[in-house]
Amino acid sequence: MADDRTRLRRFTMVQRLWHGGLVLLFMLLSVTGIAWMYFETPWGRDLASVFGDYGDVLEVHRIAGLVMLAGFAMHIVYLLCRVDWKGFPWSLLGPETLVFQWIDVKGFLGHLGWVFGLNELPRFDRWSWWEKFDYWAVWWGLMIVGVTGLMLYNPVLTSDFMPGWLLNIALWIHRIEAVLAMGHIFTIHFTVENWRPSSFPFNAAMFDGTIELEEAKHEHPEWVARMEREGHLGAALVPPPPVPLRICYFVFGYAIIFLGLFLLVFAIANAALLTLF
Amino acid sequence: MSFGRTIIWLMGALLVPPLANGQGTEVPAELAGTGYFRDQDTLPGAYRFYRQLPGGEGGLWGLGPTRQKLSHASFRVDGHEGVADYSPELRCQKCHTQQTKDLHGLRMGITCVQCHRSQPIAGVYQYYSPLNPIRRHAYVCAKCHEGATPSFASYMVHEPNPIASEARGTFPLLYYAVWFMLILAVGVFLFFLPYTMAWWIRDLVARLRRGSDHG
Repeated sequence: MADDRTRLRRFTMVQRLWHGGLVLLFMLLSVTGIAWMYFETPWGRDLASVFGDYGDVLEVHRIAGLVMLAGFAMHIVYLLCRVDWKGFPWSLLGPETLVFQWIDVKGFLGHLGWVFGLNELPRFDRWSWWEKFDYWAVWWGLMIVGVTGLMLYNPVLTSDFMPGWLLNIALWIHRIEAVLAMGHIFTIHFTVENWRPSSFPFNAAMFDGTIELEEAKHEHPEWVARMEREGHLGAALVPPPPVPLRICYFVFGYAIIFLGLFLLVFAIANAALLTLF
Repeated sequence: MSFGRTIIWLMGALLVPPLANGQGTEVPAELAGTGYFRDQDTLPGAYRFYRQLPGGEGGLWGLGPTRQKLSHASFRVDGHEGVADYSPELRCQKCHTQQTKDLHGLRMGITCVQCHRSQPIAGVYQYYSPLNPIRRHAYVCAKCHEGATPSFASYMVHEPNPIASEARGTFPLLYYAVWFMLILAVGVFLFFLPYTMAWWIRDLVARLRRGSDHG
Protein backbone atom coordinates (compact mmCIF):
# COMPACT_ATOMS: atom_id res chain seq x y z
CA MET A 1 0.00 0.00 0.00
CA ALA A 2 3.01 2.24 -0.47
CA ASP A 3 1.23 4.21 -3.19
CA ASP A 4 -1.42 5.99 -1.13
CA ARG A 5 0.94 6.76 1.77
CA THR A 6 1.56 10.25 0.46
CA ARG A 7 1.32 12.18 3.71
CA LEU A 8 3.86 12.78 6.43
CA ARG A 9 2.89 12.62 10.11
CA ARG A 10 3.54 16.01 11.71
CA PHE A 11 1.39 16.39 14.84
CA THR A 12 0.34 13.88 17.50
CA MET A 13 -3.25 13.32 18.61
CA VAL A 14 -2.63 15.27 21.86
CA GLN A 15 -1.19 18.22 19.95
CA ARG A 16 -4.17 18.25 17.55
CA LEU A 17 -6.65 18.01 20.40
CA TRP A 18 -4.98 20.87 22.24
CA HIS A 19 -4.96 23.03 19.12
CA GLY A 20 -8.66 22.23 18.58
CA GLY A 21 -9.48 23.08 22.20
CA LEU A 22 -7.47 26.27 21.93
CA VAL A 23 -9.41 27.21 18.77
CA LEU A 24 -12.81 26.64 20.39
CA LEU A 25 -11.94 28.46 23.63
CA PHE A 26 -10.20 31.30 21.82
CA MET A 27 -13.29 31.88 19.67
CA LEU A 28 -15.65 31.66 22.64
CA LEU A 29 -13.48 34.15 24.55
CA SER A 30 -13.27 36.39 21.48
CA VAL A 31 -17.03 36.48 20.93
CA THR A 32 -17.88 37.06 24.60
CA GLY A 33 -15.01 39.50 25.10
CA ILE A 34 -15.93 41.56 22.05
CA ALA A 35 -19.63 41.47 22.97
CA TRP A 36 -18.65 42.86 26.36
CA MET A 37 -16.30 45.47 24.94
CA TYR A 38 -18.89 46.60 22.36
CA PHE A 39 -21.85 46.49 24.73
CA GLU A 40 -22.64 50.17 24.18
CA THR A 41 -23.16 49.52 20.44
CA PRO A 42 -26.21 47.74 18.94
CA TRP A 43 -23.90 45.17 17.33
CA GLY A 44 -22.28 44.38 20.67
CA ARG A 45 -25.66 43.96 22.34
CA ASP A 46 -26.81 41.63 19.54
CA LEU A 47 -23.66 39.60 19.99
CA ALA A 48 -24.24 39.47 23.74
CA SER A 49 -27.87 38.43 23.32
CA VAL A 50 -26.64 35.07 21.97
CA PHE A 51 -25.55 34.27 25.52
CA GLY A 52 -28.34 36.06 27.39
CA ASP A 53 -27.66 39.39 29.01
CA TYR A 54 -24.55 41.30 30.00
CA GLY A 55 -23.98 39.23 33.12
CA ASP A 56 -24.28 35.95 31.23
CA VAL A 57 -21.70 37.05 28.67
CA LEU A 58 -19.31 37.88 31.49
CA GLU A 59 -19.92 34.57 33.18
CA VAL A 60 -19.30 32.57 29.98
CA HIS A 61 -16.14 34.62 29.36
CA ARG A 62 -14.87 33.97 32.87
CA ILE A 63 -15.54 30.23 32.80
CA ALA A 64 -14.04 29.84 29.30
CA GLY A 65 -10.97 31.73 30.53
CA LEU A 66 -10.56 29.40 33.49
CA VAL A 67 -10.89 26.34 31.23
CA MET A 68 -8.28 27.79 28.90
CA LEU A 69 -5.87 28.41 31.79
CA ALA A 70 -6.46 24.83 32.99
CA GLY A 71 -5.60 23.61 29.48
CA PHE A 72 -2.48 25.78 29.54
CA ALA A 73 -1.45 24.28 32.89
CA MET A 74 -1.95 20.79 31.45
CA HIS A 75 0.15 21.77 28.45
CA ILE A 76 2.98 22.80 30.79
CA VAL A 77 2.76 19.42 32.55
CA TYR A 78 2.80 17.74 29.12
CA LEU A 79 5.93 19.70 28.19
CA LEU A 80 7.67 18.72 31.41
CA CYS A 81 6.90 15.08 30.60
CA ARG A 82 8.19 15.43 27.04
CA VAL A 83 11.53 16.98 27.97
CA ASP A 84 14.47 14.58 27.73
CA TRP A 85 15.77 15.23 31.27
CA LYS A 86 18.84 12.98 30.86
CA GLY A 87 20.32 15.22 28.22
CA PHE A 88 19.02 18.44 29.82
CA PRO A 89 19.61 21.28 29.02
CA TRP A 90 21.26 20.40 25.69
CA SER A 91 18.28 18.22 24.77
CA LEU A 92 16.22 21.43 24.50
CA LEU A 93 18.24 22.30 21.41
CA GLY A 94 18.13 20.55 18.07
CA PRO A 95 15.81 20.50 15.08
CA GLU A 96 12.86 18.77 16.78
CA THR A 97 12.23 21.32 19.55
CA LEU A 98 10.41 24.64 19.37
CA VAL A 99 13.15 26.46 21.31
CA PHE A 100 14.51 29.46 19.40
CA GLN A 101 18.07 28.86 18.28
CA TRP A 102 20.71 30.54 16.16
CA ILE A 103 19.39 28.67 13.12
CA ASP A 104 16.08 30.53 13.47
CA VAL A 105 17.85 33.88 13.19
CA LYS A 106 19.46 32.59 10.00
CA GLY A 107 16.13 31.14 8.91
CA PHE A 108 14.39 34.46 9.45
CA LEU A 109 17.05 36.48 7.61
CA GLY A 110 17.09 33.92 4.80
CA HIS A 111 13.31 34.02 4.55
CA LEU A 112 13.37 37.82 4.53
CA GLY A 113 15.91 37.70 1.70
CA TRP A 114 13.78 35.20 -0.20
CA VAL A 115 10.64 37.34 0.13
CA PHE A 116 12.51 40.23 -1.49
CA GLY A 117 14.08 38.00 -4.13
CA LEU A 118 17.67 38.18 -2.84
CA ASN A 119 18.32 34.48 -2.25
CA GLU A 120 16.86 30.98 -2.32
CA LEU A 121 14.23 29.88 0.19
CA PRO A 122 16.08 28.61 3.30
CA ARG A 123 15.91 24.85 3.81
CA PHE A 124 13.75 24.73 6.94
CA ASP A 125 13.92 21.74 9.24
CA ARG A 126 10.88 20.56 11.20
CA TRP A 127 9.91 24.01 12.49
CA SER A 128 10.38 27.27 10.62
CA TRP A 129 10.97 30.52 12.51
CA TRP A 130 7.34 31.68 12.12
CA GLU A 131 5.97 28.38 13.43
CA LYS A 132 8.11 28.79 16.55
CA PHE A 133 6.97 32.41 16.81
CA ASP A 134 3.32 31.31 16.58
CA TYR A 135 3.86 28.78 19.36
CA TRP A 136 5.60 31.20 21.73
CA ALA A 137 3.17 34.00 20.91
CA VAL A 138 0.43 31.88 22.49
CA TRP A 139 2.60 31.55 25.60
CA TRP A 140 3.28 35.25 25.88
CA GLY A 141 -0.35 36.11 25.10
CA LEU A 142 -1.76 33.58 27.55
CA MET A 143 0.57 34.77 30.29
CA ILE A 144 -0.55 38.37 29.83
CA VAL A 145 -4.30 37.83 29.36
CA GLY A 146 -4.25 34.99 31.89
CA VAL A 147 -2.69 36.96 34.74
CA THR A 148 -4.77 40.08 34.10
CA GLY A 149 -7.89 37.96 33.54
CA LEU A 150 -7.41 36.22 36.86
CA MET A 151 -6.96 39.61 38.54
CA LEU A 152 -10.25 40.81 37.04
CA TYR A 153 -12.06 37.56 37.85
CA ASN A 154 -12.81 38.65 41.40
CA PRO A 155 -11.76 42.29 41.83
CA VAL A 156 -12.64 42.47 45.53
CA LEU A 157 -10.52 39.42 46.34
CA THR A 158 -7.67 40.66 44.11
CA SER A 159 -7.53 43.98 45.91
CA ASP A 160 -6.80 42.14 49.16
CA PHE A 161 -3.41 41.27 47.69
CA MET A 162 -2.58 44.40 45.71
CA PRO A 163 -3.76 47.98 45.30
CA GLY A 164 -7.22 48.14 43.75
CA TRP A 165 -6.04 50.65 41.15
CA LEU A 166 -3.96 47.88 39.57
CA LEU A 167 -7.32 46.72 38.19
CA ASN A 168 -7.46 49.86 36.02
CA ILE A 169 -4.12 48.80 34.55
CA ALA A 170 -5.03 45.10 34.35
CA LEU A 171 -8.15 45.84 32.30
CA TRP A 172 -6.24 47.96 29.78
CA ILE A 173 -3.48 45.37 29.42
CA HIS A 174 -6.09 42.61 29.06
CA ARG A 175 -7.88 44.54 26.32
CA ILE A 176 -4.81 45.49 24.31
CA GLU A 177 -3.34 41.98 24.46
CA ALA A 178 -6.72 40.50 23.46
CA VAL A 179 -6.98 42.87 20.49
CA LEU A 180 -3.40 41.99 19.52
CA ALA A 181 -4.10 38.25 19.74
CA MET A 182 -7.38 38.42 17.80
CA GLY A 183 -5.96 40.75 15.17
CA HIS A 184 -2.96 38.49 14.71
CA ILE A 185 -5.00 35.28 14.41
CA PHE A 186 -7.74 36.69 12.19
CA THR A 187 -5.35 38.29 9.71
CA ILE A 188 -1.78 37.01 9.85
CA HIS A 189 -2.26 33.45 11.12
CA PHE A 190 -5.17 32.74 8.74
CA THR A 191 -3.25 34.18 5.79
CA VAL A 192 0.07 32.47 6.46
CA GLU A 193 -1.48 29.07 7.15
CA ASN A 194 -4.39 29.01 4.69
CA TRP A 195 -4.36 31.72 2.07
CA ARG A 196 -0.79 31.71 0.85
CA PRO A 197 -0.94 30.41 -2.74
CA SER A 198 1.01 27.29 -1.70
CA SER A 199 -1.50 26.30 0.99
CA PHE A 200 -4.73 27.80 -0.40
CA PRO A 201 -7.59 27.19 0.35
CA PHE A 202 -7.12 25.28 3.59
CA ASN A 203 -4.18 23.81 5.46
CA ALA A 204 -5.52 20.90 7.53
CA ALA A 205 -2.13 19.90 8.98
CA MET A 206 -3.13 20.86 12.53
CA PHE A 207 -6.48 19.05 12.18
CA ASP A 208 -5.56 15.73 10.54
CA GLY A 209 -1.98 15.82 11.85
CA THR A 210 -0.27 15.24 8.50
CA ILE A 211 1.02 17.19 5.52
CA GLU A 212 1.51 16.18 1.92
CA LEU A 213 5.06 14.79 1.43
CA GLU A 214 5.51 16.96 -1.66
CA GLU A 215 4.56 20.05 0.35
CA ALA A 216 6.93 19.01 3.15
CA LYS A 217 9.78 18.63 0.64
CA HIS A 218 9.17 22.22 -0.42
CA GLU A 219 8.46 23.88 2.97
CA HIS A 220 10.57 21.68 5.27
CA PRO A 221 13.17 20.07 2.98
CA GLU A 222 15.78 19.65 5.72
CA TRP A 223 13.25 17.76 7.88
CA VAL A 224 12.43 15.30 5.09
CA ALA A 225 16.11 14.88 4.20
CA ARG A 226 17.02 14.26 7.85
CA MET A 227 14.27 11.67 8.25
CA GLU A 228 15.41 9.96 5.08
CA ARG A 229 19.03 9.93 6.33
CA GLU A 230 18.00 8.54 9.70
CA GLY A 231 15.67 6.01 8.08
CA HIS A 232 12.46 7.24 9.76
CA LEU A 233 10.75 8.55 6.66
CA GLY A 234 9.02 5.32 5.61
CA ALA A 235 7.50 4.82 9.06
CA ALA A 236 6.24 8.41 9.19
CA LEU A 237 4.28 8.19 5.95
CA VAL A 238 0.53 7.69 6.20
CA PRO A 239 -2.37 7.59 3.74
CA PRO A 240 -4.62 10.65 3.52
CA PRO A 241 -7.53 10.71 5.97
CA PRO A 242 -10.93 9.53 4.64
CA VAL A 243 -12.83 12.09 2.60
CA PRO A 244 -15.73 12.61 5.07
CA LEU A 245 -13.19 13.46 7.80
CA ARG A 246 -11.42 15.89 5.47
CA ILE A 247 -14.75 17.56 4.73
CA CYS A 248 -15.35 17.88 8.49
CA TYR A 249 -11.94 19.52 9.00
CA PHE A 250 -12.59 21.91 6.15
CA VAL A 251 -16.07 22.88 7.36
CA PHE A 252 -14.86 23.33 10.94
CA GLY A 253 -11.85 25.34 9.82
CA TYR A 254 -13.86 27.65 7.60
CA ALA A 255 -16.61 28.08 10.18
CA ILE A 256 -13.92 29.37 12.55
CA ILE A 257 -12.32 31.51 9.85
CA PHE A 258 -15.64 33.14 8.93
CA LEU A 259 -16.45 33.74 12.59
CA GLY A 260 -13.07 35.38 13.01
CA LEU A 261 -13.53 37.56 9.92
CA PHE A 262 -17.04 38.49 11.05
CA LEU A 263 -15.66 39.67 14.41
CA LEU A 264 -12.77 41.49 12.73
CA VAL A 265 -14.91 43.35 10.17
CA PHE A 266 -17.68 44.36 12.58
CA ALA A 267 -15.26 45.26 15.35
CA ILE A 268 -13.43 47.62 13.01
CA ALA A 269 -16.69 49.00 11.57
CA ASN A 270 -18.05 49.71 15.06
CA ALA A 271 -14.79 50.89 16.62
CA ALA A 272 -15.72 54.55 16.14
CA LEU A 273 -18.81 54.05 18.33
CA LEU A 274 -16.74 52.89 21.29
CA THR A 275 -16.08 55.20 24.21
CA LEU A 276 -12.75 54.14 25.64
CA PHE A 277 -11.98 57.18 27.78
CA MET B 1 -17.04 53.07 108.12
CA SER B 2 -16.19 49.53 107.36
CA PHE B 3 -14.76 48.54 104.03
CA GLY B 4 -17.97 46.63 103.14
CA ARG B 5 -20.11 49.69 103.69
CA THR B 6 -17.84 51.78 101.50
CA ILE B 7 -18.34 49.34 98.65
CA ILE B 8 -22.10 49.43 99.00
CA TRP B 9 -22.07 53.23 99.10
CA LEU B 10 -19.97 53.45 95.98
CA MET B 11 -22.24 50.99 94.16
CA GLY B 12 -25.22 53.04 95.16
CA ALA B 13 -23.58 56.21 93.92
CA LEU B 14 -22.96 54.58 90.56
CA LEU B 15 -26.44 53.16 90.21
CA VAL B 16 -28.62 55.93 91.50
CA PRO B 17 -27.89 58.85 89.14
CA PRO B 18 -29.37 57.22 86.00
CA LEU B 19 -32.49 56.34 87.89
CA ALA B 20 -32.65 59.79 89.34
CA ASN B 21 -32.39 61.42 85.90
CA GLY B 22 -35.77 60.11 84.89
CA GLN B 23 -36.41 56.55 83.76
CA GLY B 24 -36.63 55.79 80.01
CA THR B 25 -35.48 59.09 78.60
CA GLU B 26 -31.92 57.79 77.93
CA VAL B 27 -31.17 56.40 74.41
CA PRO B 28 -31.13 52.61 74.72
CA ALA B 29 -27.63 51.20 74.31
CA GLU B 30 -28.52 49.36 71.10
CA LEU B 31 -29.59 52.61 69.41
CA ALA B 32 -26.82 54.83 70.73
CA GLY B 33 -24.33 53.70 68.10
CA THR B 34 -20.86 52.52 68.79
CA GLY B 35 -19.29 55.88 68.12
CA TYR B 36 -17.11 54.18 65.55
CA PHE B 37 -18.28 56.32 62.63
CA ARG B 38 -17.83 59.54 64.59
CA ASP B 39 -14.64 58.71 66.44
CA GLN B 40 -12.77 56.24 64.26
CA ASP B 41 -14.03 55.93 60.71
CA THR B 42 -14.01 59.63 60.02
CA LEU B 43 -10.73 60.49 61.69
CA PRO B 44 -8.22 61.66 59.13
CA GLY B 45 -5.39 59.22 59.76
CA ALA B 46 -7.46 56.10 59.62
CA TYR B 47 -6.73 54.32 56.31
CA ARG B 48 -4.01 56.78 55.45
CA PHE B 49 -3.07 54.68 52.42
CA TYR B 50 -6.27 55.34 50.63
CA ARG B 51 -6.62 59.06 50.93
CA GLN B 52 -5.08 59.63 47.49
CA LEU B 53 -3.81 62.98 48.61
CA PRO B 54 -0.58 64.54 47.38
CA GLY B 55 2.51 63.39 49.20
CA GLY B 56 2.32 59.82 48.10
CA GLU B 57 3.21 56.56 49.73
CA GLY B 58 6.22 54.34 49.25
CA GLY B 59 6.54 51.12 47.30
CA LEU B 60 3.89 49.94 44.88
CA TRP B 61 1.34 52.33 46.33
CA GLY B 62 3.51 55.25 45.29
CA LEU B 63 3.05 54.34 41.61
CA GLY B 64 -0.72 54.64 41.75
CA PRO B 65 -3.04 57.50 40.97
CA THR B 66 -2.03 60.79 42.49
CA ARG B 67 -4.01 63.96 42.88
CA GLN B 68 -2.04 66.76 41.36
CA LYS B 69 -4.55 69.51 41.96
CA LEU B 70 -7.36 69.49 44.47
CA SER B 71 -9.93 72.22 44.27
CA HIS B 72 -11.50 73.74 47.37
CA ALA B 73 -14.83 72.45 46.10
CA SER B 74 -13.63 68.92 46.80
CA PHE B 75 -13.72 69.74 50.53
CA ARG B 76 -17.08 71.54 50.66
CA VAL B 77 -20.37 70.19 51.95
CA ASP B 78 -21.92 71.53 48.77
CA GLY B 79 -19.35 71.05 46.04
CA HIS B 80 -21.27 73.38 43.72
CA GLU B 81 -21.30 76.24 46.20
CA GLY B 82 -20.39 79.44 44.42
CA VAL B 83 -20.49 77.93 40.92
CA ALA B 84 -21.99 80.54 38.63
CA ASP B 85 -25.16 79.50 36.80
CA TYR B 86 -25.32 76.27 38.77
CA SER B 87 -28.76 74.85 39.24
CA PRO B 88 -29.70 71.46 40.70
CA GLU B 89 -31.96 71.07 37.67
CA LEU B 90 -29.01 70.83 35.28
CA ARG B 91 -27.80 67.47 34.08
CA CYS B 92 -24.39 66.48 35.43
CA GLN B 93 -23.13 65.68 31.92
CA LYS B 94 -23.50 69.32 30.93
CA CYS B 95 -20.26 70.13 32.74
CA HIS B 96 -18.80 66.78 33.83
CA THR B 97 -18.62 65.26 30.33
CA GLN B 98 -15.48 63.21 30.88
CA GLN B 99 -16.88 61.64 34.05
CA THR B 100 -19.69 59.90 32.17
CA LYS B 101 -17.36 57.98 29.86
CA ASP B 102 -16.40 55.00 31.95
CA LEU B 103 -17.45 51.43 32.56
CA HIS B 104 -19.80 52.21 35.45
CA GLY B 105 -21.86 54.70 33.51
CA LEU B 106 -21.66 53.34 29.98
CA ARG B 107 -21.81 49.61 30.53
CA MET B 108 -23.76 49.28 33.75
CA GLY B 109 -25.93 52.38 33.53
CA ILE B 110 -24.94 53.61 36.99
CA THR B 111 -26.10 57.20 37.45
CA CYS B 112 -23.99 59.91 39.08
CA VAL B 113 -26.19 60.24 42.17
CA GLN B 114 -25.96 56.53 42.96
CA CYS B 115 -22.45 57.22 44.21
CA HIS B 116 -22.29 61.01 44.65
CA ARG B 117 -25.74 61.11 46.30
CA SER B 118 -28.27 63.86 45.85
CA GLN B 119 -28.30 67.59 46.51
CA PRO B 120 -26.27 69.12 47.95
CA ILE B 121 -23.55 67.01 46.36
CA ALA B 122 -20.60 66.99 48.71
CA GLY B 123 -17.01 67.24 47.53
CA VAL B 124 -15.38 63.82 47.69
CA TYR B 125 -12.85 64.98 50.30
CA GLN B 126 -15.41 66.65 52.50
CA TYR B 127 -15.00 65.30 56.01
CA TYR B 128 -18.34 63.48 56.17
CA SER B 129 -18.84 62.80 52.46
CA PRO B 130 -19.74 59.18 51.74
CA LEU B 131 -17.20 59.30 48.91
CA ASN B 132 -14.37 60.39 51.18
CA PRO B 133 -11.72 57.70 50.56
CA ILE B 134 -11.63 56.88 54.26
CA ARG B 135 -15.12 55.37 54.01
CA ARG B 136 -15.86 55.17 50.28
CA HIS B 137 -15.44 51.39 50.20
CA ALA B 138 -18.13 50.79 52.81
CA TYR B 139 -20.58 53.57 51.97
CA VAL B 140 -20.47 53.50 48.16
CA CYS B 141 -18.57 50.61 46.55
CA ALA B 142 -19.99 47.91 48.80
CA LYS B 143 -23.52 48.74 47.63
CA CYS B 144 -22.76 46.57 44.59
CA HIS B 145 -19.30 45.08 45.25
CA GLU B 146 -19.97 43.00 48.32
CA GLY B 147 -17.09 43.09 50.78
CA ALA B 148 -15.34 46.06 49.15
CA THR B 149 -12.19 47.13 50.99
CA PRO B 150 -10.33 50.46 51.02
CA SER B 151 -7.81 48.90 48.65
CA PHE B 152 -10.62 47.91 46.28
CA ALA B 153 -12.01 51.44 46.48
CA SER B 154 -8.74 52.84 45.23
CA TYR B 155 -9.81 51.62 41.76
CA MET B 156 -10.15 54.77 39.69
CA VAL B 157 -13.73 54.91 38.43
CA HIS B 158 -13.18 58.09 36.41
CA GLU B 159 -9.87 57.00 34.92
CA PRO B 160 -7.91 59.39 32.71
CA ASN B 161 -7.21 58.79 29.04
CA PRO B 162 -4.24 56.46 29.60
CA ILE B 163 -2.28 57.58 26.55
CA ALA B 164 -2.69 61.31 27.12
CA SER B 165 0.26 63.09 28.68
CA GLU B 166 -1.87 64.17 31.67
CA ALA B 167 -2.03 60.54 32.71
CA ARG B 168 1.74 60.50 33.17
CA GLY B 169 1.24 62.85 36.08
CA THR B 170 -2.05 61.59 37.49
CA PHE B 171 -1.63 57.83 37.02
CA PRO B 172 1.96 57.11 35.92
CA LEU B 173 1.88 53.31 36.02
CA LEU B 174 -1.27 53.22 33.86
CA TYR B 175 0.35 55.57 31.37
CA TYR B 176 3.54 53.54 31.03
CA ALA B 177 1.82 50.13 31.02
CA VAL B 178 -0.66 51.13 28.31
CA TRP B 179 2.03 52.73 26.15
CA PHE B 180 4.18 49.61 26.51
CA MET B 181 1.32 47.36 25.41
CA LEU B 182 0.37 49.68 22.55
CA ILE B 183 3.91 49.78 21.20
CA LEU B 184 4.08 45.99 21.44
CA ALA B 185 0.77 45.51 19.61
CA VAL B 186 1.34 48.15 16.97
CA GLY B 187 4.89 46.89 16.46
CA VAL B 188 3.67 43.34 15.83
CA PHE B 189 1.16 44.55 13.23
CA LEU B 190 3.56 47.03 11.63
CA PHE B 191 6.02 44.23 11.08
CA PHE B 192 3.76 41.28 10.26
CA LEU B 193 1.05 42.85 8.09
CA PRO B 194 3.37 44.19 5.37
CA TYR B 195 5.64 41.16 5.74
CA THR B 196 2.73 38.75 5.24
CA MET B 197 1.57 40.66 2.18
CA ALA B 198 5.04 40.63 0.61
CA TRP B 199 5.35 36.95 1.51
CA TRP B 200 2.01 36.20 -0.15
CA ILE B 201 3.12 37.84 -3.38
CA ARG B 202 6.51 36.07 -3.29
CA ASP B 203 4.74 32.75 -2.65
CA LEU B 204 2.54 33.31 -5.71
CA VAL B 205 5.57 34.13 -7.88
CA ALA B 206 7.39 30.99 -6.65
CA ARG B 207 4.33 28.87 -7.35
CA LEU B 208 3.85 30.24 -10.85
CA ARG B 209 7.53 29.61 -11.64
CA ARG B 210 7.35 26.06 -10.32
CA GLY B 211 4.22 25.52 -12.40
CA SER B 212 5.91 26.76 -15.58
CA ASP B 213 8.98 24.57 -14.85
CA HIS B 214 6.81 21.47 -14.71
CA GLY B 215 4.82 22.46 -17.77
